[in-house]
Amino acid sequence: MTKPGAALLALALLTAGAQAANEPSLTQLMEQLERLEQRDQERQRQLEALQQELRDARQAQARTQETVTERVVGERRPAAPVEVSQGPQRAPLDRESYRTRARALGDGAVTSGTAFNPAVSVIMDGVYAAQSRREIESPEGFEGHDHGHGHGGHDGHGGIERGFNLRETEITFTASIDNYFDALVMLGVEGVSNVEIEEAYLVTNSLPAGWQVKFGRFLSDIGYINKQHLHDWDFADRTLVNEFLFGDHGLQETGVQVSWVAPTETYTRFGIEVLQGETSGVAQYEGDEEFTLVTLLPDFAIDPVTGQPVPVASGPNRIRWRDDLGLRNKSGPRLFTGFVTIAPDLGHDHAIQLGASGGFSRAWQNVVTHSSGRVETWDGDAWFAGVDAVYKYDAGRSFGAGNVVLQGEYFYREIDADYVSRSFSNFGTLTPTAAGGVADVFSGTAKQDSFYVQGLYGIAPRWQAGLRTEGLGLRNRTLEPDRADNAFERAGTSWRHSGVLTFRPTEFSMLRAQLNYSDFDTDEHGSVWSFLLQYNMSLGVHGAHSF
Amino acid sequence: MVKILIWVALLLTAAVAEAEINIAATTSNMGMLARTIGGDAVQVRVMAPPDRDAHYLEARPSMMAALRRADLVVAVGAELEVGWLPAATQGAANPRIHPGRPGYFEAAAQVSLIDEGQPADRRLGDVHPTGNPHVYFDPPRLARVGEALAERLADLHPAHAEEFRARAQAFSEQVAKRVPRWQERARGSNGVILYHKDVDYLARLLDVEVLGYIEPIPGVPPTARHLRDLVSRLQSRPEGSIAHASFESSRGPDFIQEQLGWQVHALPTNVALDGTAQDYLDLIEAWVEAMSG
Repeated sequence: MTKPGAALLALALLTAGAQAANEPSLTQLMEQLERLEQRDQERQRQLEALQQELRDARQAQARTQETVTERVVGERRPAAPVEVSQGPQRAPLDRESYRTRARALGDGAVTSGTAFNPAVSVIMDGVYAAQSRREIESPEGFEGHDHGHGHGGHDGHGGIERGFNLRETEITFTASIDNYFDALVMLGVEGVSNVEIEEAYLVTNSLPAGWQVKFGRFLSDIGYINKQHLHDWDFADRTLVNEFLFGDHGLQETGVQVSWVAPTETYTRFGIEVLQGETSGVAQYEGDEEFTLVTLLPDFAIDPVTGQPVPVASGPNRIRWRDDLGLRNKSGPRLFTGFVTIAPDLGHDHAIQLGASGGFSRAWQNVVTHSSGRVETWDGDAWFAGVDAVYKYDAGRSFGAGNVVLQGEYFYREIDADYVSRSFSNFGTLTPTAAGGVADVFSGTAKQDSFYVQGLYGIAPRWQAGLRTEGLGLRNRTLEPDRADNAFERAGTSWRHSGVLTFRPTEFSMLRAQLNYSDFDTDEHGSVWSFLLQYNMSLGVHGAHSF
Repeated sequence: MVKILIWVALLLTAAVAEAEINIAATTSNMGMLARTIGGDAVQVRVMAPPDRDAHYLEARPSMMAALRRADLVVAVGAELEVGWLPAATQGAANPRIHPGRPGYFEAAAQVSLIDEGQPADRRLGDVHPTGNPHVYFDPPRLARVGEALAERLADLHPAHAEEFRARAQAFSEQVAKRVPRWQERARGSNGVILYHKDVDYLARLLDVEVLGYIEPIPGVPPTARHLRDLVSRLQSRPEGSIAHASFESSRGPDFIQEQLGWQVHALPTNVALDGTAQDYLDLIEAWVEAMSG
């Protein structure tokens, strides 16, 4: 290690003392510096040589021990334990990796220790919520969005309940796998027990010419906000467009993404994704499944030979009704998306980014069962498209004061589906029900859209205030069947307006208050005020945020 | 369609026909160094504007566009740009400039750093356990960085190797000529109050005592209590000076000025986007003046 600054300082002081009146000689100064550096390098070389000798000696010792062991084996003596027992026992043919064991540190071996461990960060997020009504109902035409997630019973949205919520704890690991791949694993623990892999992907790190391939589970790059995690948001809750047009976690899928950044002055990125297709909003998939209903009939049993009901007197009998729902089997991948992002260079103060994206799903299926035994199915496909824009102004003042962020997205979705409502007849066959005398079998297309616009302003260093307006179902032909009419129903538009105030004591901590006014189109048509208090803190190595 | 193809072809050839080594510099000081050493053989784009704190930038698309086409990144390093350079690099999809490759050059990795090995505990503020990254506040260190950069450029473009080395040598000499003058000027300084630890390098070079910092801990804005403590601690001392970067809030420094009557100097930390070596030396000289009080 050279200390040129210190050396120069010392030298300059010396020379200044010696010849205070004269201009000190520059060449002298440089020469002396050079000599010091040479000496330093010489010492470094000596040090390295010594270290090498030490390593050689160690290896030689290790080799000697190996030969000793070989000789022992050669003499057919019982084999001595190869290593001191560490960790779980292994069978002779188990591979090393079958059993992990803790790495011993400081045992005299030359080891990189834990230096190869991935970077770890933990992000803690909690919310306190209060509402003017007990429940915020789902907007008309979007009730089914949480199918299969079991969020029923919550009285808010995005999984927020009234009172205190330990909303999500994100645990992120990142590292380079090798010289070809980088990896990220993000676990999201919702509440105290529900662990989910939010993202677990590999991304190439050395493809030339601006190409990059990402695969695994990841948040799709469609739109702007979809790829952001909760801690990136400027508001406490997920946007309606992301939650209701896509899903509770946005468009989060398993698959492959290929993208290309063009070598242009204007930042331009193109990408396509091939995804499994599991997101409820655009790619819900059920597959061919057998529908089973169990009933208790007081006076009948099914004759095992004829399959016909026979009267019995011995009281309630359990009867299992089974039939095929007849949904098409579509093997994955079922969802295909594409996106383009353009960001012209507007200098250091202003930045703008425009995006367009869309996707097509080969399958969109849904099953709704009723306690009456009636079962409704939808079977079809879906596509969506949208645009997004972000503008940022950097005022150049400290800690974000005076900065402006304007952001908006619009998405449109169509689901083309065959609908049928059926119930069991004849103890084992599903037959279409009929409302108004006509069988409840028809096809139709749901056409729905949503947008949000939001603006944020840095009112003071570390303080940010913002407003957001969202519309859901500006065009809202739903998948709700009007069985009397044999057509899908239309519904009205739902709105939500939000105001937010965020305080960031440091880059690693954030406190936020948000007020929402939700005017959803629901059966009861009630508007709701809700108030959220949020904390979001990051521990450990926290990676930089992308634009 | 044909038109679009022609445009694309033009853009691509334009990218190729540009200067021979395409450099993306993180700050304008680094841009200055790259241009000073590289001369006509390089084309430099500066990603962070000179009037911003390089700690707190955000990865922006224009940075990604610059990195996408870069042959070489010239960064200050030691995690100064950790908030945006890795994200911008990832968005750029250009493996040539990844750390560890010849296309990544970090000034802090070329010289020794002060404050190395401090505890990595964020209770102590925005700390840099790898050492103080602000090496551009130490002209002799920056001159050494320039020599290392000349070697790197020589690797990338051997035909110009001697020119690069000669320019680095010239820059070192310019610096060496000024250092004794600066030290002379600062002799007898009563000390200086700084805002952040970035100017520590210069204070050491000049042997000027740092009497305190406006920030209570690095990266945390001044609190009233901290400023009052600072005032009461320094009240009895002979008049020193207060120096801070122009992008830092002047409220803390102004308060000290009111209380102690010391002069406040708000100065840029980076040269203009197209600044020269002369501009850089003038900038340092302005700081020397401010700290000589």
